[in-house]
Amino acid sequence: MAGIRFDQVSKRFGGVTAVNALSMEIQAGEFVSILGPSGCGKTTLLRMLAGLERPSAGAISIGGAVVNELAPAERNVAMVFQTYALYPHMTVAGNIEYPLKKRRVPKTERAGRVREAARVLELEALLGRKPRELSGGQQQRVALGRALVRDPAAFLLDEPLSNLDAKLRTHMRAELIRLHRRIGRTMVYVTHDQLEAMTMSQRIAVLNEGALQQFASPQDIYARPRNDFVAGFIGTPSMNFLDGRLEGTGADRVFRSGDWSLPIGALRLADEHPDPDRRVRLGVRPEHVRLDAQGEPARVILVEPTGHETILVFDYSGNEIVARMDGEVSLEPDDSVRLSFRVAKLHLFAADDGRRLNLDDS
Amino acid sequence: MFREGPATTASPGKASLDTRYGLLGALLIAPTVLVFCAVIVYPLISAIYLGLFSIYTPTMEGEWVGMDNYRRLLASGEFWRSLLNNVIWTVGTLALQVIFGILVALMLHRNLVFRAFARSLVLFPYFLSTVVAVLVWRWLFNDLYGVLNHLLMWAGIVDMPVDWLGTMPNAMVSLILVGAWKYFPFVVIAVLARLQSIPDELYEAASIDGAGAWGRFVDVTLPQLRDVLIVVVLLRTIWDFKEFDLIYLLTGGGPIIGTQTLPLMVYKEAFALNQMGGASAVAVLMMLIMLLFMILYLSRARD
Repeated sequence: MAGIRFDQVSKRFGGVTAVNALSMEIQAGEFVSILGPSGCGKTTLLRMLAGLERPSAGAISIGGAVVNELAPAERNVAMVFQTYALYPHMTVAGNIEYPLKKRRVPKTERAGRVREAARVLELEALLGRKPRELSGGQQQRVALGRALVRDPAAFLLDEPLSNLDAKLRTHMRAELIRLHRRIGRTMVYVTHDQLEAMTMSQRIAVLNEGALQQFASPQDIYARPRNDFVAGFIGTPSMNFLDGRLEGTGADRVFRSGDWSLPIGALRLADEHPDPDRRVRLGVRPEHVRLDAQGEPARVILVEPTGHETILVFDYSGNEIVARMDGEVSLEPDDSVRLSFRVAKLHLFAADDGRRLNLDDS
Repeated sequence: MFREGPATTASPGKASLDTRYGLLGALLIAPTVLVFCAVIVYPLISAIYLGLFSIYTPTMEGEWVGMDNYRRLLASGEFWRSLLNNVIWTVGTLALQVIFGILVALMLHRNLVFRAFARSLVLFPYFLSTVVAVLVWRWLFNDLYGVLNHLLMWAGIVDMPVDWLGTMPNAMVSLILVGAWKYFPFVVIAVLARLQSIPDELYEAASIDGAGAWGRFVDVTLPQLRDVLIVVVLLRTIWDFKEFDLIYLLTGGGPIIGTQTLPLMVYKEAFALNQMGGASAVAVLMMLIMLLFMILYLSRARD
């Protein structure tokens, strides 16, 4: 079991920078997700950790030792691929046994360890089958078994659930959490699915355009996004953004957008905004929009009932605002309502670089 | 997909839809069936039929001899010697084609810069007309003015010119080498196409699992090539077994019958000895041997 450290790691492919001077430290035994949109560099980061790509700059350490110059086999990490990458001509037992065979583990010990991995993953009945005779979920478990049997310092998982159907994905998510709890190994999990990252990880690293945006617990990332990218990327439906400027200070502070303004004196800011124009983006989570007879007038554009809750789109002073409301709300398109926001829950970001302006208790 | 039963509401006097589709289908395949009968079924049956007669080729007249042609053939040393030659030639040239073909394919798969150019270059022997290729090789092999002997003597490897095509086993070795040179591109193309479709993740998984370069070749590449190699070997076995022009042009089956294979024996019986019946009998026996490979190939192709 070992911690992992990225120190100013960069990777360039020709003129394209996939990962840019990224530093982060993963604790031993931690379950960390690397989350970001397609092409954000998350898979490149994992492949550098596995030794499949060489960093252009910076150092990667596993268990305190720099591994930049080590071949994949020498790093004692196991990887689970999105496509599983099972050896098609070998049986399930053969696939799980392969890394032990290559490491010259004695035959008698191999058999025991394969049986043990198969027991943990409930693959005992399938040991004699070939990968093509297995369902997607079973193949997934074999790929996990091949990683598990080696007892590696860290598990690297590259979107391992994205080829499964929705129901199986939910099931395997729970399985993976249970597995992590039982074996307590460091796991680095790459995904573009925020639901997977939020439900499974102890901490999430949000990446965009090769740069680390925020590395924190799921709760922190949701409640205190460090910039407007993280704020907009995490949460479904996405956070609403309103562009405007700040007027006044302290308790008299007002957010003004066009001829509409909102008193936000209750919102505490980390410091006075240095931009002389005081241009900001106001962020409102859909669940912090509420119907309020004292609020501003708005018109319903769209109603999407999902059962226990209803997603509504409003025209609010010329802005489209998405709200998440109770499933029993009975509104029709074109209805006129009045809306207000829960001011204490609003987020403010600088308009120029998108950084968070709220003062957070921590 | 669902299938409907015959329509019950068809207007009277008109054939049902199924019947009309059936007729159209028969009409569409009729030309193929006719051509197939003319060029395959008729020659096949007539060869089996002719094999039962003793026929003088120039007049195509003869008499019924029953199984005598087969009895004579199976009792003669020449038939068995030709069959043995045929097996040696096929196994030898095929083995070289496969080994050399895989090696070249692996090289081309790695080298990205020259791949397009090298691939067309590799195909050159395969596209070259056999007559042209063999004439060039005969010139290279020539014991009086051949370049090969000249180079070997210049390098001091031999001190007398070697008779490449006129003595045994040199003639068979030369034949096998030229056959391998001519047909290895087929293996290269088939193997290269398969190599390019092996997912990179398999190699990456293997290297993380601890396999070195040789381990990755044995545990990932070879198993993935297995299916394509089986088909290539079966096809090339059939084609090499019945090879005529390359052998006929290079050695003519000589020295004496040192490199005579069954197809050359058919030709000799039919047109040198004017024994059309005997030639047909050899052809029928050859067909029976090849039928074996055919059945193997078809059963492979079905999975």
